[in-house]
Amino acid sequence: MRPILLFAFLAASLVLSTGLLPAQEAVYHAPAGEAPPVAPPLKKGSPLDHLANDPKVAAPTIGYKEGNIKGDATWIAHRLIDDMGGQGWGWVKKSGDGWGSAKWVTLQETPGLAVAPHRKLVKADADLNWEYKLWGKFALYKAYDPRMDEQLPVFVLEGYEVIGPAAPLSIKVGPPDRIQHRPSGASSREGRPILSDPGVD
Amino acid sequence: MRLFLALLSLVVLGTLHAPAQSREDIVLTGGPALRFMEHGKGDVSHDVYWFNFVDASVIRLKQLKDQAKPDELVTWLIYRPAYASRSQEMGMDLLAQLQDKAKTLGVNLHWFNSKEELVTYLNKGLDRDKTKIADFDYFGHSNKACFLFDYSNTIDTMSIAWLHVKDLRLIDSDIFAHDAICKSWGCHSGEMYSKWWKSRFDVPMIGAIGKTDFAHGGLPQLSNANDKWGQ
Repeated sequence: MRPILLFAFLAASLVLSTGLLPAQEAVYHAPAGEAPPVAPPLKKGSPLDHLANDPKVAAPTIGYKEGNIKGDATWIAHRLIDDMGGQGWGWVKKSGDGWGSAKWVTLQETPGLAVAPHRKLVKADADLNWEYKLWGKFALYKAYDPRMDEQLPVFVLEGYEVIGPAAPLSIKVGPPDRIQHRPSGASSREGRPILSDPGVD
Repeated sequence: MRLFLALLSLVVLGTLHAPAQSREDIVLTGGPALRFMEHGKGDVSHDVYWFNFVDASVIRLKQLKDQAKPDELVTWLIYRPAYASRSQEMGMDLLAQLQDKAKTLGVNLHWFNSKEELVTYLNKGLDRDKTKIADFDYFGHSNKACFLFDYSNTIDTMSIAWLHVKDLRLIDSDIFAHDAICKSWGCHSGEMYSKWWKSRFDVPMIGAIGKTDFAHGGLPQLSNANDKWGQ
């Protein structure tokens, strides 16, 4: 009897140790074809609530201030839209410097503190060639624009004040790589814009 | 004495048959946009459903677990910051939900916060001399030149975390098994990314020529009749 038991014990050990028994069946059943779950309701007073429900205006209000605007503004911005389809926001330079030193940037908003001025406008391009005092800083990282296959400096917005409309600038739009026609080494840059929208949900 | 010999046999057998873990299957999952960034964009508003990439990943992970050999480890790599910020926006703990899903599936969950962390895991997460990657799937935003782990989550319509075709050189060229199966379920990967992938790793990667659609549940499908999978 004992040899039989011993054999059974050894056989069972062998089966278990070699993984011949299937792993326990996962109980999760992924949705197939059904509607996705419903998102929780908008939180009253959240940035998304303000964006969705606050009234929009036709043009910025001169002197309007938003966010953390303590101290003198370090930065001056000129809003512009990239005709080539890039998602840059405009030019930013140090206060007191000439526009020749300005950088073509993308704006990283801080929802709940300061968001891009055009969020308050009926049309997102209604502040074309308007200028702003900005509070914030340049990020240490860059952003990738999937439409253009190029990288832009990131200005992290903490506050702003509307200066008003200004004369158009005579500076070429885009990051230095585009303006100076520096080859990137990736053929994806041939024939910009890249014309492949990011994935859709 | 016989009992001692039996126990000794067990120990020896267990040692001989302990899984050597020579292969790893990886599912790489990018993050969703914030609704704040995508608000008001109508039909092109991305990621209305926050787990579009996750649900598809879970299906694939389950397939991999079901077919995994005893020596195969199944790993789920998730770009954490995007789910953290979407959690904050929605007032739901999506990170905990992801951990629960991984636990239920019995897969090895590994968060990453940047391209550098991802590359480090791929190169050194396991001893790649011993454990090659046998299967690789990507679910997330993409264009033909890039995997976009972050898209419209930190900056409207932009990415701050991506893996460009030019970045593939950061990944060791010998991390994949010679018969590895790789697929990007994102949009447009078959138009360029697949070619660079094959060139770098000498294994093919199936990718979409055209767009893919995550909206209907299940694994993503090609969006249009004229789209196709290529490599």
